[in-house]
Amino acid sequence: MGPTHDHLTEEIKRLRRCMNDLVGVVGLAAVWTGRAPSQIVGILLDSLLGMLLLDVAYARVEGPDSKTAIEMVRVAQSRQPPTRASDIGDALANAFGGDPLRWPPSARIRLAGSDVSVATVRLGLRGDAGVVVAGTQRADFPDPIDTLLLRVAASQAAIGLQEARLLGEQRRLAHELDQRVAQRTTALAAANTELKREVTVRRRAEAALRASEHDARLIVDSIPAGVALLTPTGEVDDVNRQVLQYFGRPLDELKNWVASDIVHPEDVPNVVRRLTHSINSGEPYECEHRLRRHDGRYRWFQARGLPLRNADGGIVRWYILLTDIDERKRAQEALQRGEAFLAEAQRLSSTGSFSWRVSTDDITWSDELHRIFELDPPLTPARIRTRVHPEDVHAFDTTVDRARHTGDDFECRCRLLMPNHSIKHLHVVAHATRDREGQLEYIAAVQDVTESRVSEEALRDAQQQLARAARVTSLGVLTASIAHEINQPLSGIVTNAGTCLRMLAADPPDVDGARETARRTIRDGNRASEVVTRLRALFGRSGSTTEPVDLNDAAQEVIMLSSSELQRNRVVVRTELAAELPPVFGDRVQLQEVILNLCLNALDAMRSVDDRPRQLVVRTERDEGTGVRLTVQDAGVGLDPHAADALFQPFYTTKTGGMGIGLSVSRSIIENHRGRIWAASNDGPGASFSFSVPCAPQAVSRLGGPRIVHEREVTPRAAADAVHGGVSP
Amino acid sequence: MILLVPSLVSVVDDDQSVRESLPDLLKVCGYNAEAFASAEEFLASDLLRETKCLIVDVAMPGMNGPDLQRELSRRRQAIPIVYVTAHRDETVRPRMLEQGAVECLFKPFSDTALLDAVMRALRAG
Repeated sequence: MGPTHDHLTEEIKRLRRCMNDLVGVVGLAAVWTGRAPSQIVGILLDSLLGMLLLDVAYARVEGPDSKTAIEMVRVAQSRQPPTRASDIGDALANAFGGDPLRWPPSARIRLAGSDVSVATVRLGLRGDAGVVVAGTQRADFPDPIDTLLLRVAASQAAIGLQEARLLGEQRRLAHELDQRVAQRTTALAAANTELKREVTVRRRAEAALRASEHDARLIVDSIPAGVALLTPTGEVDDVNRQVLQYFGRPLDELKNWVASDIVHPEDVPNVVRRLTHSINSGEPYECEHRLRRHDGRYRWFQARGLPLRNADGGIVRWYILLTDIDERKRAQEALQRGEAFLAEAQRLSSTGSFSWRVSTDDITWSDELHRIFELDPPLTPARIRTRVHPEDVHAFDTTVDRARHTGDDFECRCRLLMPNHSIKHLHVVAHATRDREGQLEYIAAVQDVTESRVSEEALRDAQQQLARAARVTSLGVLTASIAHEINQPLSGIVTNAGTCLRMLAADPPDVDGARETARRTIRDGNRASEVVTRLRALFGRSGSTTEPVDLNDAAQEVIMLSSSELQRNRVVVRTELAAELPPVFGDRVQLQEVILNLCLNALDAMRSVDDRPRQLVVRTERDEGTGVRLTVQDAGVGLDPHAADALFQPFYTTKTGGMGIGLSVSRSIIENHRGRIWAASNDGPGASFSFSVPCAPQAVSRLGGPRIVHEREVTPRAAADAVHGGVSP
Repeated sequence: MILLVPSLVSVVDDDQSVRESLPDLLKVCGYNAEAFASAEEFLASDLLRETKCLIVDVAMPGMNGPDLQRELSRRRQAIPIVYVTAHRDETVRPRMLEQGAVECLFKPFSDTALLDAVMRALRAG
């Protein structure tokens, strides 16, 4: 039993050692946790060398990046000299081939001068991570326990390497992360530095700005003009001393300028519009407007504003400069008004003007003069002369010559012959003056009097016609008039003749008295004959006609024809003529006679009025129903309320003498037109006389539907009334 | 009948021919006569009270014939009136007579017609 016992004991020892080695191998994992692959491989080889009593331990494993390989060797301390790993690797490659994965699990080879038994285990889960080769001179190597330990150790190492590889990867990632963080941090730091620099620059700029603003403020307060500072949105932020003094109000009140009377209310819309435009666009602001001074007076200002911008171009504020241009503006307005007035006056009066500096023949012409001569600028004496009527050229030359040599004022009339063969009549008045150097200069006015010449003639014709027309009345009125006018002298004749006879028949006869009465008889006879002559003139135009009459036209004609008489008496005529007035049916001349009569009555009523305008209003309008009404309103002495009705009655007259056509004649005419006439007091001063006549039948049917028109017979009474009221003995 | 004091007949007419001719006719016939150019002139005259007969034109500027008649009536001066007028309006005469006139003559009238009217007036007065 001795050897068996020994063998058993040996076997137990070996197994125990093997267990210890296994525990040690397993414990290696704790040793190499967190180590780099080369360290792990080193520990592995050291451990195998000790546990398996090897002469040499060699490993070749993949590097962390799978491209390089780690090759390492450990030899027993007795082996001298130290061996390089690559020599061992080369020797193994020579023995087994270049690919370690094809190396045999065990073999007996010659290595470094000795015969050694080698065992090869592959690393990694798939055996591709590397190879470990253990070698010893022992011939029985490797026994099963050696192989077990080798494999366990190899698998442990494979795990460790895997972990190490993962760890390496993690470290690499961590490193990379660190690097990126570092890079980013550097970049941020750089940015930060730049930012700080910018901040510094900006602060300096702002400080400079503040300084310049302070300077500006000093300037602003000392310049002789108003300055207002606005925010970028246009609110008043501050104003200078001059502005406060001008307005005499605190800044807070000035801030609310839109809603107050600081800017003239008429100017506010324009100011707001322009300011808004500038605020929105950043364009310079400019506006002229009135501002209310502390004493309530508005003065004209020119406001000009520029934006103050920061380094980025953003608007920080607006500076508005307010310049008092009141004097200039008023002078300008006065000048413009003067010029406009002059131009208008020249245009209205067809009057041109020129100045003529005789020594140099420099002539300055007004625009109206160009229109009169129908010549484009420039006018020269020679060009003007071409317009002068051939028959007047000699007189023109003479006048110019005399003016040139005498230096006297002159006035002349001459005609122009225009290219279209029309003739213009000019009236020239020139006044001689001497300029500072004593040189002769004429200031002259040239009036185109063509129109007034022509219209004077037309007016004269029309007035003559109206004068005739005004005496044409209805046959009844004429008969009564003739009778009246003749009866007066006839009465004298008859009475005188009777008296004369009685004087001669007396005892003794009163011859002187008879002679006197005979003289008066002859005189009254002549008077009667004059009346007949005068009455015959009334027939100069034939009797009445009946036609549609536009009362507006008729009234305007009358006003036009009587305008000189009205103007002479300072009467202002206003017309209020209804548009689209339907025509009436009647005798145009008779109706005009009535209108004229009413106008002349109104004129008479205003003759004594001096404390108010002598205004005459002629108004036409549609009457209620189917008529047309014409009213003549005066501002005269007015009516006695009780007399208003009597006005149109017979025997009522206020005038003496002549063949006047009175209100009763007017009434007669209007009644013959189936109309009516009446008078009323005005609310204010004066009276209104109106008549209303029906529209022409066709106009009535067109406007108001069917209407039966009754012919009204003119009674002798009506005719007599008409005569009594209007005609005085 | 012979009157010791001739009766005063006043003529009011704005027509000069009448003012000249009528007084002469009346004087030739033995009346005293005065002429006035207007009703106002007559009313203002001292001769108003002595007037026994009034010859007056119907239509005159200012106060006309009927106006004058009313004014005299208001003053209780009952003077007989003879109207004359140059307007031959047949409706005037009845109206004037109705209002109390002695006569209303249309110009031209005959001397006899006038003298007849004046005599009737003086009898009425």
